[in-house]
Amino acid sequence: MVNKRSVLTPALIALVGFLTVCPVVMLIFGSFSTGLGAFGEFTLDKYIQGYTDPELGGIILNTIIFVLGSSFVATGLALLLAYLNTRTDIPFKFMFRIISIIPMMIPHILFSVSWVLLLNPSNGLINLFLRQIPGLENLAINIYSLPGMILVEGLLDLPIAYLILAPAMASFDISLEESSKVCGGSTLRTLFRVTLPVLRPAILAAFILSLVRSLASFAVPSVIGMPGRIYVLATHIYQSIATGFAADFGKAAAIGMSVLATSITLIYVYRYLTSESEKYVTISSRGYRPSVIELKGARYPMFGLVGILSMILIVLPVLVLLYTSMVPYSMIPSAKAFSMMSWKHWIEVINDPISLLSLKNSVFLGVFGATLGVTLSIFVAYVIVKVRSHASGLLESLSFLSFSFPGIVIGVGFMWFFVRTPLYATIWTLLIGYIATYLPYGVRPLTSAFVQVHSHLEESSQVCGAGPFTTMRRIVIPLLIPGIVSGWILMATMFVRELTLSVVLSRPGTEVLAVQIFRFAEDGLWGQLSALGIMMIIISTALVLLATLVGMKFKPVEE
Amino acid sequence: MEIKITNLSKYYYSGGKTIKALDNVSLSIPANRIFTLLGPSGCGKTTLLRCIVGLEAPDTGEIKIGEDTVLSTEENIFVPTENRGLGMVFQTYAIWPHMDVFNNVAYPLQTRKVPKDVIRSKVEKTLRFVQLEGFEDRPATKLSGGQQQRVALARALVAEPKVILFDEPLSNLDAKLREETRKDLRIFLTELQITAIYVTHDRIEALSLSDIVAVMNGGQIVEMGEPRDIYLNSNHRFVADFIGRTNLIEAKVTAQEESVTKVDCAIGSFACRKRADLNPGDNVTLCLRPEFIRLKRGGASEAQNVFNGQIESLVFIGEAFEGEIKIRESQIFIKTEPDSDIRVGDSANFAVDPDHCLLVIR
Amino acid sequence: MKRLLIVFLALIIVPSAFAADSDLVQKAKAEGQVSFYANMTAIAPIMDVFNAQTGLAGKYTRISTSKFLATVLTEYQAGKLMADVLQAPLPVMQMLKAKGVLAPYTSASAADYPAWTRQDDQIQTFGIEYVGLIYNKELVKAADAPKRYEDLTDPRWKNKIVMANPASHATTISWLVGLKENVFKSEDKWMEFLKGLAANRPMLVKSFGPTPAPVESGEKHIAISMPKYIITKAPAPLDWARLEQPLMGTPRGIAISSSAKNPNAAKLFMDFWLTKKAMAKLSAEVGEYVLAPGVFPPIDGMDKAKVIPIRTLSEKEISSYGTMFKKIFKLH
Repeated sequence: MVNKRSVLTPALIALVGFLTVCPVVMLIFGSFSTGLGAFGEFTLDKYIQGYTDPELGGIILNTIIFVLGSSFVATGLALLLAYLNTRTDIPFKFMFRIISIIPMMIPHILFSVSWVLLLNPSNGLINLFLRQIPGLENLAINIYSLPGMILVEGLLDLPIAYLILAPAMASFDISLEESSKVCGGSTLRTLFRVTLPVLRPAILAAFILSLVRSLASFAVPSVIGMPGRIYVLATHIYQSIATGFAADFGKAAAIGMSVLATSITLIYVYRYLTSESEKYVTISSRGYRPSVIELKGARYPMFGLVGILSMILIVLPVLVLLYTSMVPYSMIPSAKAFSMMSWKHWIEVINDPISLLSLKNSVFLGVFGATLGVTLSIFVAYVIVKVRSHASGLLESLSFLSFSFPGIVIGVGFMWFFVRTPLYATIWTLLIGYIATYLPYGVRPLTSAFVQVHSHLEESSQVCGAGPFTTMRRIVIPLLIPGIVSGWILMATMFVRELTLSVVLSRPGTEVLAVQIFRFAEDGLWGQLSALGIMMIIISTALVLLATLVGMKFKPVEE
Repeated sequence: MEIKITNLSKYYYSGGKTIKALDNVSLSIPANRIFTLLGPSGCGKTTLLRCIVGLEAPDTGEIKIGEDTVLSTEENIFVPTENRGLGMVFQTYAIWPHMDVFNNVAYPLQTRKVPKDVIRSKVEKTLRFVQLEGFEDRPATKLSGGQQQRVALARALVAEPKVILFDEPLSNLDAKLREETRKDLRIFLTELQITAIYVTHDRIEALSLSDIVAVMNGGQIVEMGEPRDIYLNSNHRFVADFIGRTNLIEAKVTAQEESVTKVDCAIGSFACRKRADLNPGDNVTLCLRPEFIRLKRGGASEAQNVFNGQIESLVFIGEAFEGEIKIRESQIFIKTEPDSDIRVGDSANFAVDPDHCLLVIR
Repeated sequence: MKRLLIVFLALIIVPSAFAADSDLVQKAKAEGQVSFYANMTAIAPIMDVFNAQTGLAGKYTRISTSKFLATVLTEYQAGKLMADVLQAPLPVMQMLKAKGVLAPYTSASAADYPAWTRQDDQIQTFGIEYVGLIYNKELVKAADAPKRYEDLTDPRWKNKIVMANPASHATTISWLVGLKENVFKSEDKWMEFLKGLAANRPMLVKSFGPTPAPVESGEKHIAISMPKYIITKAPAPLDWARLEQPLMGTPRGIAISSSAKNPNAAKLFMDFWLTKKAMAKLSAEVGEYVLAPGVFPPIDGMDKAKVIPIRTLSEKEISSYGTMFKKIFKLH
């Protein structure tokens, strides 16, 4: 293995680097060139203009509050859900998987719009409902605010955090907790002094991924932030390109460079904090039996809490979507609205050949892209966790590169790159672009999973005469199944609803769902948009079920 | 199968410093014997084992297993672990939690593409050998620690390797089970006529299990020999100290006589086992094992190798008394017959046979 | 079913009105297809008619205004421009023309269009992305709707207006500047209007797309938006304020690509696009304001409205006005 590793690392660095560096290099060129393309005369103007803006300070402050806040919400909730699900005897456990994944499937723009309908200060449904309570007649909870943005973005990033935390939680070595209890630690003390610290790599991974994601997020800042006149970097970048008809993506890239730098710094911080990964090896052959904590009296109250969360996370937005898809235009629920309900929007969508083509393309990209992406992620995560050289650090940073760039800019980077290849305007550009950009969705859960496979388990396979690939196939991959399933689900659902790259790269014949949804949104056709959105959720649900069933079939440990 | 290691070095770099995990180690491990690498943690014993297995790549050196060179940095040979045909039991056992007992044990045969029926019969035979008959279908995670340990052993043995390696395999077992397993293991290995390399930091394990013990420190092998020989005839202060409870007293050589070497030290002058390599005036360490310090009733205290001391503490442990005596400023551990009638506070004479007064260096 | 019917009708009616040069038709048929880049949405029905009528495969790619120049120029500079025909707001078309992306072509179909629609031999203007005041007719009585732009500054509209962001949305910026140049008598009056509008704290969204929804749902009462939504969002309770002053908008242009792979099909498509029938369909289905004589969107009163084009502002002007509006609307 020693020799093979030395080939694997550079090979992966070359591959991942090629995928992620090329668009970023194009953007760097673009940010230093005059004109609107990637190549022009050298200029620093775009940086000077971008960074001398007097408003930048306030925007950065907003961004920091928004990004930290939403990551805390996402990680905190994910931790709670993962803990309750994997470690306690809370009833109806199947609900957790659903709760954690559904927001993953809802296009972010729709999710944000649902929340506007629920909580806008004029006639948001929740506000209207609460105003009927005496004493609250003048209540106006305002979603168009920083807390509103933090809440919605936090909920949107929850699935990513959950899918990283749950497998780690599930394979936690119970003896570590037991020894704390033996030492006299109460359940809570054990949780805070042992369980959480031991899970630190997974928690940090979840938190940092949420940070990076919310930093690049555009849906929430534009749908909720802009009307509240709260600008963060993503919307600031949008403003800088959208003012005027000649959108200057080079300038946007120039501002985006600081976002990129921040993200990469975060990733290095994360690596530094978890550098002693051996400390956290938690699956060994002995400790692979997480025990269940009895909630006793708290069982149903805790479940009630989860119930409320799932109401907020799934039931409300999906109901709003369903409702919107059936009423002829945006209306407040009323007798009149219900009397006007019909399947009109659904029928229009089903009869639209481009919508059907986009459905087909998205399913293809979801299934095939996620499979390919997870395969690549297994190798990348392996090198990151098990090789841990400077080169593997480079690889980890590379895997985050295009992911860290603000979404609206990276698509243009890919276009500038792909137009120089024969793949331009084929579905392969989407496939490659998706995998390159969302590689962390596969790499993160797999890294968490890898960290927990003790190196002895692999080494003993080698001693038994198995080469690196047999070891990978028979020992490592089966033990990684929970991580693989998480990664596949994250990637597949992401690819099914991917918008930022698709909107730039899709051409006739390669239309995808999100682009179709985006067109509906541009035209303000919320009905068709919601109908297609629900179809999208159904497809994603099917993919998630598929992955879960396959994962259960190859469950690593027989009970 | 004999294993020959020549000039093996392995360095680690950490924080700008070079740590010599193995410092130019050369040794020959005889065939079909139980060979133990004993030493404190960080002495390089596990690194040496992992180099033999091929899980670590040394910086320089050569390793030959039988006639095959599996590693030679000079000739640029590195046979990967999977092609070295060895068996190994890991400290954590490394039982694969996603497989049942049968598949865990069958794995080495499966990787070698052995026919299915042969696999079945060999696995059954091996499981019988380690007394786990009928456990084939158990999930590996549903076994006790001792059972897992035996599964790991069965897996290491099933492909009939010429060499089997153990990396502290008993350290996760409780004391009683450890003792039993140690005994069983010695019987298994002796019966199999197999070269076994065993790594441990536990001296009792090393002494009771091995045919040959090599004591390691600071990436080097300090002494190597049969257990009794190492224990009774340690040449080095480190070995004498590590391999058993002992009193180490700084001393100076006063004279070389025909059959003994004479030294002076803080508790008197002693005639010791002859060590020809010393000269009068040399600084040495006198090593007195507590069990060889005998209570001397009556008699003159000026006799050779006799010293008088006051008993400071005394613990009755059944098969013996263990205690400390005070002689001038020094404290000496003793271990004496359980029927002695000594008490704390008593003053008594103690004597040591010159043959048990060991002079060690460094 | 409805679509089939339309195609069927088109098959019967359109050929008579669309008498293209038969030589061009032959050449276009040999090319077999045509690629159309447009920033307009919902034009699939028109593509269907074109395809059915000519037997060509017309492929429509929607590219939003903000990415139009970047996409087309990137492809053009790499020698991979896939579009044969391009449609975008006039300012964008003019920038494309300056970069040499467009080819000269004067379509006979537009012969009877107003003269100002054809200021050069490349870009044909065919419509105006007209902006008006759209209100919720269930919440606002027609009598209470604004009569003049100045009425928007009335405090009764406080917190009840939605509009695209005047600091960044180019069409809105141009529109506000258009008010100064075409409607208000003096700069002071205009400034007074801007300040009054800002004082009413309109909700600002990123483009026109999200403007109608808050009005439909009653979250807001009135929008500075596009009257075409009255058609596309029917039966939503939307109506437009009949103002004494003219409506204004950015002209929409169409042209042929200078690197068209299917140049004849491109011409045929442009000829088709500019026919009165095609324009009528655009107008009827998606409420577009088109410049084919006598064609009006089926919005009550729109045939009598005065709709005028806004002059093309330079990028510098747009950005400096954007900055100015940012101050006036206190967007810090």
